[in-house]
Amino acid sequence: MTTETTVEEQQKMVGEFLEGLAKSFGIEATIQHVAADEDSFEVNLDGDDKELGLLIGPKGNHLVAMHEVCKTMLQRRLAGMDRARVRVDVGGYRARRREALQAYVQELAQNVISSGVEKGLEPMNAADRKVVHDAVNEIDGVSTVSVGDEPRRRVVLTVASD
Amino acid sequence: MSDEEGTTAEEVLLYLIAQLVEHPDQVELEIEETETKISLMAKVSSEDIGRVIGKRGRVANSIRTLVRAAAVKDGVDVEVDFSD
Repeated sequence: MTTETTVEEQQKMVGEFLEGLAKSFGIEATIQHVAADEDSFEVNLDGDDKELGLLIGPKGNHLVAMHEVCKTMLQRRLAGMDRARVRVDVGGYRARRREALQAYVQELAQNVISSGVEKGLEPMNAADRKVVHDAVNEIDGVSTVSVGDEPRRRVVLTVASD
Repeated sequence: MSDEEGTTAEEVLLYLIAQLVEHPDQVELEIEETETKISLMAKVSSEDIGRVIGKRGRVANSIRTLVRAAAVKDGVDVEVDFSD
């Protein structure tokens, strides 16, 4: 694998891009680098919660759009290079949703263990499914499997066979 | 904000396009205004149009989503189109 760009460089590009985007909305926001490893990183735009709501949008729609244009911007600037996976958050919205989802499926996992009955979740995108897999598989006695095709792909919690 | 300055929708559209294209000098914006609606037509170089639209229009739709969000600040409806 040839790496011609570092995660730090990509964080900087994404940070400047998103701060500039917020500014074009007339919103003062600063970037926080929430997490990073060798092939992925997460940034959060922080600022006034009331203003940031516009950048999150209904059901996080505007946030999804920001993520999409962010990826496209990196693709253009780093054409042909190995890029890290970027996750974009605004005002900690995704982080809060992720925590709520973790708490929900951990409780559900306990139900599956005590009842012995598998439990299917509603369809989710790949990122949310990963949150479910990771949260549930930390618990002994229960495991997960994804079933169905996109965009209706969903996770089922099953009793672990071992 | 004075009437002479661009609307928030225009600012956001121009910012996004400038960040996504190889030829920002060839970007032009045509604006049509009615009482209730603004139509924005972004012209970019033929080399850049594919990038601005994206696979199955994903990038164009994301740009539209953000420009419409920006238009909430302007208190108008906005329509966004792209051409080369």
